[in-house]
Amino acid sequence: MRHLQLSAFGLWLLAIGFSANSCSSREPKFQQYFVEGEQLYLKSCGNCHQKDGKGLALVYPPLSPSDFMEDNMEDAICMMKKGRKGEMMVNGKMFNQPMPGVPSLTELEIAEIATYIYNSWGHEKGMVEVSQVRTALQKCAY
Amino acid sequence: MKYTKEMKLVLNRLCLLICCSLLLACSVHEDKLPIFGERTVNGTDTVYHRIAPFRFVDQDSAVIDNGTFLDKIYVADFFFTTCRTICPIMKTEMLRVYEATREMPDVLILSHTIDPEYDTVALLHDFAKRLGVESNRWHFVTGAKDSIYKIAQTSYFATAMEDRTEPDGFIHSGAFLLIDKKGRIRGKYDGTKEDDVNRLIVDIKRLRGEVAQ
Repeated sequence: MRHLQLSAFGLWLLAIGFSANSCSSREPKFQQYFVEGEQLYLKSCGNCHQKDGKGLALVYPPLSPSDFMEDNMEDAICMMKKGRKGEMMVNGKMFNQPMPGVPSLTELEIAEIATYIYNSWGHEKGMVEVSQVRTALQKCAY
Repeated sequence: MKYTKEMKLVLNRLCLLICCSLLLACSVHEDKLPIFGERTVNGTDTVYHRIAPFRFVDQDSAVIDNGTFLDKIYVADFFFTTCRTICPIMKTEMLRVYEATREMPDVLILSHTIDPEYDTVALLHDFAKRLGVESNRWHFVTGAKDSIYKIAQTSYFATAMEDRTEPDGFIHSGAFLLIDKKGRIRGKYDGTKEDDVNRLIVDIKRLRGEVAQ
Protein backbone atom coordinates (compact mmCIF):
# COMPACT_ATOMS: atom_id res chain seq x y z
CA MET A 1 0.00 0.00 0.00
CA ARG A 2 2.75 2.36 1.04
CA HIS A 3 4.53 1.44 -2.16
CA LEU A 4 1.46 2.46 -4.14
CA GLN A 5 1.20 5.77 -2.32
CA LEU A 6 4.83 6.50 -3.00
CA SER A 7 4.53 5.76 -6.70
CA ALA A 8 1.35 7.89 -6.88
CA PHE A 9 3.30 10.72 -5.29
CA GLY A 10 6.08 10.15 -7.82
CA LEU A 11 3.58 10.36 -10.69
CA TRP A 12 2.16 13.55 -9.24
CA LEU A 13 5.63 15.10 -9.07
CA LEU A 14 6.24 14.02 -12.64
CA ALA A 15 2.94 15.57 -13.74
CA ILE A 16 3.85 18.85 -12.07
CA GLY A 17 7.19 18.74 -13.77
CA PHE A 18 5.54 18.26 -17.16
CA SER A 19 2.92 20.95 -16.72
CA ALA A 20 5.59 23.39 -15.60
CA ASN A 21 7.60 22.45 -18.66
CA SER A 22 4.69 22.99 -21.02
CA CYS A 23 4.38 26.55 -19.76
CA SER A 24 7.71 28.18 -20.32
CA SER A 25 7.85 29.73 -16.87
CA ARG A 26 7.01 28.48 -13.40
CA GLU A 27 6.43 31.88 -11.87
CA PRO A 28 3.08 32.34 -10.14
CA LYS A 29 2.54 35.57 -12.10
CA PHE A 30 2.91 33.66 -15.36
CA GLN A 31 0.51 30.97 -14.18
CA GLN A 32 -1.99 33.64 -13.15
CA TYR A 33 -1.80 35.41 -16.52
CA PHE A 34 -2.03 32.09 -18.35
CA VAL A 35 -5.11 30.88 -16.47
CA GLU A 36 -6.92 34.25 -16.68
CA GLY A 37 -5.88 34.52 -20.31
CA GLU A 38 -7.42 31.17 -21.13
CA GLN A 39 -10.80 32.24 -19.71
CA LEU A 40 -10.69 35.54 -21.60
CA TYR A 41 -9.59 33.76 -24.77
CA LEU A 42 -12.51 31.33 -24.59
CA LYS A 43 -14.90 34.23 -24.02
CA SER A 44 -13.64 36.72 -26.61
CA CYS A 45 -11.59 34.82 -29.19
CA GLY A 46 -12.31 31.09 -29.11
CA ASN A 47 -15.70 31.23 -30.88
CA CYS A 48 -13.99 32.11 -34.14
CA HIS A 49 -10.39 30.99 -33.73
CA GLN A 50 -11.65 27.81 -31.99
CA LYS A 51 -10.68 26.42 -28.60
CA ASP A 52 -7.57 24.82 -30.06
CA GLY A 53 -6.47 27.97 -31.95
CA LYS A 54 -6.76 26.21 -35.31
CA GLY A 55 -9.27 28.66 -36.83
CA LEU A 56 -12.00 27.64 -39.28
CA ALA A 57 -11.22 26.81 -42.91
CA LEU A 58 -10.35 30.02 -44.81
CA VAL A 59 -12.85 32.08 -42.79
CA TYR A 60 -11.06 32.52 -39.45
CA PRO A 61 -7.26 32.25 -39.57
CA PRO A 62 -5.38 29.90 -37.24
CA LEU A 63 -3.41 31.35 -34.32
CA SER A 64 -1.13 28.33 -34.29
CA PRO A 65 0.64 27.30 -36.33
CA SER A 66 0.66 30.84 -37.76
CA ASP A 67 3.58 32.72 -39.26
CA PHE A 68 1.62 35.94 -38.81
CA MET A 69 1.25 35.44 -35.04
CA GLU A 70 4.85 34.32 -34.74
CA ASP A 71 6.22 37.42 -36.51
CA ASN A 72 3.75 40.15 -35.55
CA MET A 73 3.03 40.10 -31.85
CA GLU A 74 2.49 43.87 -31.67
CA ASP A 75 -0.02 43.77 -34.55
CA ALA A 76 -1.82 40.90 -32.88
CA ILE A 77 -2.08 42.94 -29.67
CA CYS A 78 -3.48 45.93 -31.59
CA MET A 79 -6.07 43.73 -33.27
CA MET A 80 -7.41 42.39 -29.98
CA LYS A 81 -8.33 45.93 -28.92
CA LYS A 82 -9.09 47.65 -32.23
CA GLY A 83 -10.02 44.90 -34.67
CA ARG A 84 -8.99 44.77 -38.28
CA LYS A 85 -10.53 44.76 -41.75
CA GLY A 86 -9.20 43.74 -45.11
CA GLU A 87 -7.12 40.94 -46.51
CA MET A 88 -4.52 39.19 -44.43
CA MET A 89 -1.99 36.54 -45.36
CA VAL A 90 -1.50 33.70 -42.88
CA ASN A 91 0.67 30.68 -43.72
CA GLY A 92 0.52 31.61 -47.41
CA LYS A 93 -3.28 31.73 -47.49
CA MET A 94 -5.33 34.88 -47.89
CA PHE A 95 -8.05 35.53 -45.32
CA ASN A 96 -10.58 38.35 -45.50
CA GLN A 97 -13.00 38.21 -42.60
CA PRO A 98 -13.29 41.46 -40.64
CA MET A 99 -12.27 40.95 -37.02
CA PRO A 100 -14.16 43.08 -34.51
CA GLY A 101 -11.91 44.39 -31.76
CA VAL A 102 -12.89 44.30 -28.12
CA PRO A 103 -12.35 47.93 -27.03
CA SER A 104 -13.34 47.14 -23.45
CA LEU A 105 -10.24 44.93 -22.93
CA THR A 106 -7.75 46.47 -20.49
CA GLU A 107 -3.98 46.38 -20.97
CA LEU A 108 -3.78 43.72 -18.28
CA GLU A 109 -6.45 41.58 -19.94
CA ILE A 110 -4.69 41.82 -23.30
CA ALA A 111 -1.40 40.81 -21.63
CA GLU A 112 -3.19 37.82 -20.13
CA ILE A 113 -4.73 36.77 -23.45
CA ALA A 114 -1.39 37.24 -25.24
CA THR A 115 0.40 35.23 -22.56
CA TYR A 116 -2.11 32.45 -23.04
CA ILE A 117 -1.99 32.45 -26.86
CA TYR A 118 1.79 32.82 -27.05
CA ASN A 119 2.36 29.86 -24.75
CA SER A 120 -0.22 27.49 -26.17
CA TRP A 121 -0.44 25.07 -29.11
CA GLY A 122 3.27 25.19 -29.81
CA HIS A 123 3.95 28.89 -29.17
CA GLU A 124 6.62 29.38 -26.49
CA LYS A 125 7.16 33.10 -26.24
CA GLY A 126 6.89 33.24 -22.47
CA MET A 127 5.29 35.99 -20.41
CA VAL A 128 3.75 38.97 -22.23
CA GLU A 129 4.01 41.95 -19.86
CA VAL A 130 1.54 44.82 -19.49
CA SER A 131 4.34 47.23 -20.46
CA GLN A 132 4.78 45.39 -23.78
CA VAL A 133 1.04 45.69 -24.41
CA ARG A 134 1.12 49.41 -23.61
CA THR A 135 3.98 50.01 -26.06
CA ALA A 136 2.27 47.96 -28.76
CA LEU A 137 -1.03 49.81 -28.32
CA GLN A 138 0.71 53.18 -28.57
CA LYS A 139 2.26 52.09 -31.85
CA CYS A 140 -0.98 50.82 -33.39
CA ALA A 141 -1.00 52.02 -36.98
CA TYR A 142 -4.73 52.68 -36.90
CA MET B 1 -52.84 -21.81 -3.18
CA LYS B 2 -49.56 -23.29 -4.23
CA TYR B 3 -47.85 -22.48 -7.50
CA THR B 4 -47.26 -25.58 -9.48
CA LYS B 5 -44.18 -25.86 -11.66
CA GLU B 6 -46.37 -25.55 -14.72
CA MET B 7 -48.05 -22.37 -13.53
CA LYS B 8 -44.67 -20.81 -12.86
CA LEU B 9 -43.57 -21.61 -16.37
CA VAL B 10 -46.71 -20.10 -17.88
CA LEU B 11 -46.33 -16.98 -15.73
CA ASN B 12 -42.71 -16.63 -16.75
CA ARG B 13 -43.58 -16.89 -20.41
CA LEU B 14 -46.38 -14.38 -19.98
CA CYS B 15 -43.98 -11.92 -18.37
CA LEU B 16 -41.50 -12.43 -21.16
CA LEU B 17 -44.23 -11.84 -23.76
CA ILE B 18 -45.35 -8.62 -22.07
CA CYS B 19 -41.79 -7.36 -21.81
CA CYS B 20 -41.10 -8.17 -25.46
CA SER B 21 -44.23 -6.44 -26.70
CA LEU B 22 -43.46 -3.39 -24.54
CA LEU B 23 -39.97 -3.23 -25.97
CA LEU B 24 -41.32 -3.62 -29.47
CA ALA B 25 -43.91 -0.89 -28.89
CA CYS B 26 -41.18 1.42 -27.63
CA SER B 27 -38.87 0.76 -30.53
CA VAL B 28 -41.67 1.29 -33.06
CA HIS B 29 -42.49 4.56 -31.36
CA GLU B 30 -38.81 5.53 -31.37
CA ASP B 31 -38.64 5.14 -35.14
CA LYS B 32 -40.72 8.25 -35.79
CA LEU B 33 -39.55 11.73 -34.96
CA PRO B 34 -42.10 14.14 -33.53
CA ILE B 35 -43.87 16.65 -35.79
CA PHE B 36 -43.62 20.19 -34.41
CA GLY B 37 -46.23 22.93 -34.43
CA GLU B 38 -49.99 23.20 -34.50
CA ARG B 39 -52.07 20.60 -36.25
CA THR B 40 -55.67 20.61 -37.36
CA VAL B 41 -57.85 17.64 -38.18
CA ASN B 42 -59.78 17.86 -41.44
CA GLY B 43 -62.16 14.94 -41.58
CA THR B 44 -59.81 11.96 -41.61
CA ASP B 45 -56.72 14.02 -42.49
CA THR B 46 -54.41 15.68 -40.01
CA VAL B 47 -52.92 18.91 -41.35
CA TYR B 48 -49.53 19.70 -39.84
CA HIS B 49 -47.62 22.96 -39.56
CA ARG B 50 -45.46 23.45 -42.65
CA ILE B 51 -42.83 25.95 -43.70
CA ALA B 52 -44.67 28.79 -45.47
CA PRO B 53 -43.87 29.68 -49.10
CA PHE B 54 -40.58 31.57 -49.41
CA ARG B 55 -38.32 32.88 -52.14
CA PHE B 56 -34.71 33.91 -51.48
CA VAL B 57 -31.46 34.17 -53.43
CA ASP B 58 -28.38 32.08 -52.63
CA GLN B 59 -24.62 32.64 -52.91
CA ASP B 60 -24.74 31.80 -56.63
CA SER B 61 -27.63 34.24 -57.26
CA ALA B 62 -29.88 31.21 -57.78
CA VAL B 63 -33.50 31.51 -56.68
CA ILE B 64 -34.11 29.30 -53.66
CA ASP B 65 -37.72 28.53 -52.77
CA ASN B 66 -39.81 25.67 -51.40
CA GLY B 67 -39.33 23.89 -54.73
CA THR B 68 -35.58 23.65 -54.10
CA PHE B 69 -36.38 21.36 -51.16
CA LEU B 70 -39.01 19.24 -52.88
CA ASP B 71 -38.34 15.64 -51.81
CA LYS B 72 -35.36 16.81 -49.75
CA ILE B 73 -34.66 16.73 -46.05
CA TYR B 74 -32.96 19.94 -44.93
CA VAL B 75 -31.42 21.63 -41.94
CA ALA B 76 -32.14 25.36 -41.55
CA ASP B 77 -30.51 28.04 -39.43
CA PHE B 78 -30.23 31.84 -39.07
CA PHE B 79 -26.92 33.68 -38.79
CA PHE B 80 -24.85 36.58 -40.15
CA THR B 81 -21.23 36.58 -41.25
CA THR B 82 -19.95 39.33 -38.94
CA CYS B 83 -21.44 37.84 -35.79
CA ARG B 84 -18.79 36.94 -33.28
CA THR B 85 -20.90 35.35 -30.56
CA ILE B 86 -22.72 32.16 -31.44
CA CYS B 87 -22.55 32.11 -35.27
CA PRO B 88 -18.93 30.97 -35.58
CA ILE B 89 -19.74 28.01 -33.33
CA MET B 90 -22.89 27.35 -35.34
CA LYS B 91 -20.89 27.35 -38.56
CA THR B 92 -18.28 25.00 -37.06
CA GLU B 93 -21.09 22.66 -36.01
CA MET B 94 -22.99 22.98 -39.32
CA LEU B 95 -19.79 22.08 -41.10
CA ARG B 96 -19.89 18.80 -39.16
CA VAL B 97 -23.46 18.23 -40.36
CA TYR B 98 -22.28 18.99 -43.90
CA GLU B 99 -19.47 16.44 -43.62
CA ALA B 100 -21.72 13.82 -42.01
CA THR B 101 -24.29 14.08 -44.82
CA ARG B 102 -21.77 14.11 -47.65
CA GLU B 103 -23.07 10.80 -49.03
CA MET B 104 -26.74 11.73 -48.68
CA PRO B 105 -27.95 13.43 -51.88
CA ASP B 106 -31.41 14.01 -50.38
CA VAL B 107 -30.09 16.12 -47.47
CA LEU B 108 -29.44 19.87 -47.89
CA ILE B 109 -28.54 22.81 -45.65
CA LEU B 110 -30.22 26.25 -45.72
CA SER B 111 -28.52 29.11 -43.85
CA HIS B 112 -30.40 32.44 -43.83
CA THR B 113 -28.53 35.65 -43.15
CA ILE B 114 -30.40 37.98 -40.82
CA ASP B 115 -28.20 40.90 -41.91
CA PRO B 116 -29.02 41.10 -45.63
CA GLU B 117 -27.77 44.68 -45.89
CA TYR B 118 -24.21 43.60 -45.13
CA ASP B 119 -24.37 39.96 -46.24
CA THR B 120 -24.83 40.46 -49.97
CA VAL B 121 -24.84 37.65 -52.53
CA ALA B 122 -21.17 38.38 -53.31
CA LEU B 123 -20.21 38.30 -49.66
CA LEU B 124 -22.10 35.06 -49.03
CA HIS B 125 -20.45 33.59 -52.11
CA ASP B 126 -17.04 34.43 -50.70
CA PHE B 127 -18.01 33.14 -47.25
CA ALA B 128 -19.21 29.78 -48.60
CA LYS B 129 -16.13 29.43 -50.77
CA ARG B 130 -13.88 30.13 -47.81
CA LEU B 131 -15.78 27.59 -45.75
CA GLY B 132 -15.05 25.17 -48.59
CA VAL B 133 -18.63 24.04 -49.19
CA GLU B 134 -20.54 23.30 -52.41
CA SER B 135 -23.41 25.63 -53.17
CA ASN B 136 -25.71 22.86 -54.38
CA ARG B 137 -25.62 21.22 -50.93
CA TRP B 138 -25.40 24.24 -48.65
CA HIS B 139 -27.40 27.30 -49.65
CA PHE B 140 -26.56 30.62 -47.99
CA VAL B 141 -29.56 32.82 -48.71
CA THR B 142 -30.37 36.48 -48.47
CA GLY B 143 -33.53 38.41 -49.26
CA ALA B 144 -35.86 41.09 -47.94
CA LYS B 145 -35.13 41.53 -44.25
CA ASP B 146 -38.82 41.40 -43.29
CA SER B 147 -39.37 38.13 -45.14
CA ILE B 148 -36.38 36.52 -43.43
CA TYR B 149 -37.45 37.64 -39.96
CA LYS B 150 -41.04 36.64 -40.61
CA ILE B 151 -40.23 33.13 -41.84
CA ALA B 152 -37.84 32.69 -38.89
CA GLN B 153 -40.54 33.58 -36.38
CA THR B 154 -43.65 32.07 -37.89
CA SER B 155 -42.41 29.07 -39.87
CA TYR B 156 -39.26 27.89 -38.09
CA PHE B 157 -40.16 29.20 -34.59
CA ALA B 158 -36.66 30.67 -34.36
CA THR B 159 -35.91 34.12 -32.97
CA ALA B 160 -34.31 36.64 -35.33
CA MET B 161 -34.53 40.40 -35.00
CA GLU B 162 -32.51 43.57 -34.90
CA ASP B 163 -31.54 44.87 -31.49
CA ARG B 164 -29.19 47.82 -31.34
CA THR B 165 -28.42 47.13 -27.69
CA GLU B 166 -26.78 43.81 -28.53
CA PRO B 167 -23.01 43.92 -29.19
CA ASP B 168 -23.48 42.82 -32.81
CA GLY B 169 -26.83 44.53 -33.37
CA PHE B 170 -29.02 41.43 -33.57
CA ILE B 171 -30.57 38.84 -31.34
CA HIS B 172 -31.20 35.43 -32.78
CA SER B 173 -31.41 31.84 -31.68
CA GLY B 174 -28.67 29.36 -32.42
CA ALA B 175 -31.22 26.73 -33.37
CA PHE B 176 -30.82 24.17 -36.15
CA LEU B 177 -34.18 23.02 -37.49
CA LEU B 178 -34.67 19.64 -39.14
CA ILE B 179 -37.26 19.79 -41.92
CA ASP B 180 -38.70 16.69 -43.58
CA LYS B 181 -39.59 16.13 -47.24
CA LYS B 182 -43.09 17.50 -46.64
CA GLY B 183 -41.83 20.78 -45.18
CA ARG B 184 -42.63 19.85 -41.59
CA ILE B 185 -40.34 20.57 -38.61
CA ARG B 186 -39.17 17.27 -37.14
CA GLY B 187 -36.45 18.43 -34.75
CA LYS B 188 -35.00 21.49 -33.06
CA TYR B 189 -31.37 21.47 -31.84
CA ASP B 190 -28.99 23.92 -30.22
CA GLY B 191 -26.45 24.59 -32.97
CA THR B 192 -23.87 25.74 -30.44
CA LYS B 193 -23.78 22.43 -28.56
CA GLU B 194 -21.80 19.51 -29.90
CA ASP B 195 -24.03 16.91 -28.18
CA ASP B 196 -27.19 18.40 -29.62
CA VAL B 197 -25.70 18.46 -33.11
CA ASN B 198 -24.67 14.81 -32.70
CA ARG B 199 -28.32 14.09 -31.94
CA LEU B 200 -29.31 15.98 -35.10
CA ILE B 201 -26.96 13.86 -37.20
CA VAL B 202 -28.53 10.69 -35.76
CA ASP B 203 -32.04 12.09 -36.35
CA ILE B 204 -31.25 12.87 -40.01
CA LYS B 205 -30.47 9.19 -40.49
CA ARG B 206 -33.65 8.22 -38.64
CA LEU B 207 -35.71 10.58 -40.77
CA ARG B 208 -34.23 9.14 -43.96
CA GLY B 209 -35.12 5.64 -42.71
CA GLU B 210 -38.64 6.79 -41.92
CA VAL B 211 -39.11 8.19 -45.42
CA ALA B 212 -37.83 4.97 -46.98
CA GLN B 213 -40.48 2.90 -45.18
